[in-house]
Amino acid sequence: MIVVYAIDALEYTKVEQFGCSNLKQAHYGKTDISEFSQPRTMVLWSSFMTGQNKEAEILAKGDQEMWNTRIPHEKTFFSKFSSPAVLDLPGYNYDLGVHEQSRKLLKDFFSATDDEQKEAIKKQYNADAFEHHRKIKEQFLAELDADHDFVLGYFSVADVIGHLNFGNDTMMKLIYKDLDELMPKITARTDKVLVLSDHGMKAIGRFGDHSEYGFWSTSFDAGLKRPRITDFGELLTQTR
Amino acid sequence: MTKTKAEHNQANMENPEENLKLVLVGHVDHGKSTLIGRLLYDTDSLPEGKIEEIKSICDALGKEMEFGYVMDNLEEERDQGITIDTAQIFFKTQKREYTIIDAPGHVEFVRNMITGASQAEAAILLVDAQEGVQEQTRRHSYILSMLGLKQIIVVMNKMDLVGYSKERFDEVLSELTPFLSGIGIDPGYVIPLSAKEGDMVANRGDNMPWYDGLTVLEALDTFEPSKSDLEKPMRFAVQDIYKHDKRIIAGRVEAGVLHVGDEITVLPSGERSTIQSIEEFGKDDVQAAVAGKATGIVTKDKLFVDRGDIITAPDAAPKVTDTFKAHIFWMSKDPLAKGERIIFKCSTQQAVCSVEEFTKVLDSSTLEKLEGREEIRNREVADVLIKTDKPLVLENFNEVPELGRFVLERLNTCAGGIITEV
Repeated sequence: MIVVYAIDALEYTKVEQFGCSNLKQAHYGKTDISEFSQPRTMVLWSSFMTGQNKEAEILAKGDQEMWNTRIPHEKTFFSKFSSPAVLDLPGYNYDLGVHEQSRKLLKDFFSATDDEQKEAIKKQYNADAFEHHRKIKEQFLAELDADHDFVLGYFSVADVIGHLNFGNDTMMKLIYKDLDELMPKITARTDKVLVLSDHGMKAIGRFGDHSEYGFWSTSFDAGLKRPRITDFGELLTQTR
Repeated sequence: MTKTKAEHNQANMENPEENLKLVLVGHVDHGKSTLIGRLLYDTDSLPEGKIEEIKSICDALGKEMEFGYVMDNLEEERDQGITIDTAQIFFKTQKREYTIIDAPGHVEFVRNMITGASQAEAAILLVDAQEGVQEQTRRHSYILSMLGLKQIIVVMNKMDLVGYSKERFDEVLSELTPFLSGIGIDPGYVIPLSAKEGDMVANRGDNMPWYDGLTVLEALDTFEPSKSDLEKPMRFAVQDIYKHDKRIIAGRVEAGVLHVGDEITVLPSGERSTIQSIEEFGKDDVQAAVAGKATGIVTKDKLFVDRGDIITAPDAAPKVTDTFKAHIFWMSKDPLAKGERIIFKCSTQQAVCSVEEFTKVLDSSTLEKLEGREEIRNREVADVLIKTDKPLVLENFNEVPELGRFVLERLNTCAGGIITEV
């Protein structure tokens, strides 16, 4: 079984700072996403799963409609596996309702002028993100125990929480540690693991925004130096 | 919550209170972070709201709150690194204030532990009741013995995972006791506990009725602090000289208290003068500077001082020597041979030195004596005779640690050591 532990916005420098030794695995580094004009979640994951730069195609749909992108299964590298399981991946099968609500609350937070209102929105925003994270963790572990040859779990907590709380090191460290602590549960079930983020995160005051590189790590030596996000599909199908 | 050494000494001078510095050593997985978190929590020493904040985030992540997370997150508020002014963590009992010097148990951090542990007056050695004695436990025990720490508590943690069993406690103890005895460590107390559940840390709990000894806090309160930094003879390590409208000697008070009007001697030259003023940016009429304080002084007479010189009280001057005995812990993959020249650094002093004699070389894990050795290799410890290429101002580590602790360097730090005889 090949496992992709897809963690949105996992930031390389924070993995180092917080001592996330499990996430680093045997080989790790930064990805090269310089071919993209901006580090957009939907564009990057769509490009990951197809092995092609999907920026122009997705941006052509416009700001609203691009979030509804659904890449057909046969156009992804998942179709090369006989029994894949993919959880909540943007551009493939992610929960539109949950993530739309999250984006709405984020927009409301920055539109609100009243501090009390902002705090209430932030509280709800954080609670929703953590609830979704708990659910995904549970589903992911269940899929790891099922009979699949490929499992991908997409975790949005570092990105969603990071946008409003990146300056809160207590919170971010606990999130990174939680993600790190999931690794032994994955490696207990397989020795072929890719940890991948679409982009990282950089501080903007106490908030966070996407940075210009992602994080990768592998349990196996694939000779990677500064891979592009579009390189991984072929790598994983060859690793079967 | 966290103070520098100078801030602490200043507060102590203005409002003297007892303080005991201690280090927690042991394998990284034996619960050191959890015990520190528990000590802070049970003595109400955490920043306000911190435990609630961590608990709330743990609940949101769907996991149990652990005291180890508290320690993890306090690290974000502390300076890290191997500097003399490493920020420290404080907690209080009714008797006194305690300073915990963080000492990670991971192999790669042994070097940090040497620097951190060497400032301690007492130690808590952690052993995991479930796993028993590990390799790092043996090494940390030996390091403790090398540092001359006499006041030691052994805690057998995670008793909750072995059903709070007296039999298991006795079994691990029977493995540990001969080992400690063999390296000259005689712990004052051996305490079974659960840092996670809180048994025998501050409160006894109900899970170990078979143990009638002291809790950790009670045991700590029986220890005696060593002579206060403020009571030691004054030592000022020169870092630089600045010439503005006055000639200011910048440096750090390593021990004792420096006062305006004090008579001083500069070593190794022997020149004498008097402190005319103490210069601090933005402050007038500073009358004293305590141990740990980085400051500037102006002397009545013009002195020929340089970085590395030590300014002392004339009636209690340290030795100036180029030959001394020491313990060293070697941390480089490339060995050090007898007679090989290497850089020696102690406070602001620097010289080239060589090991003239390896009196004893030990494997720090097995304590196997390595006979006939004329070199020291990675993770070995040795009793040595060192000779420097120029006289230095040195002290027995147990008298004035700042002038008794040193490192040996090539391109990087290769060894930490303490002076045992000058």
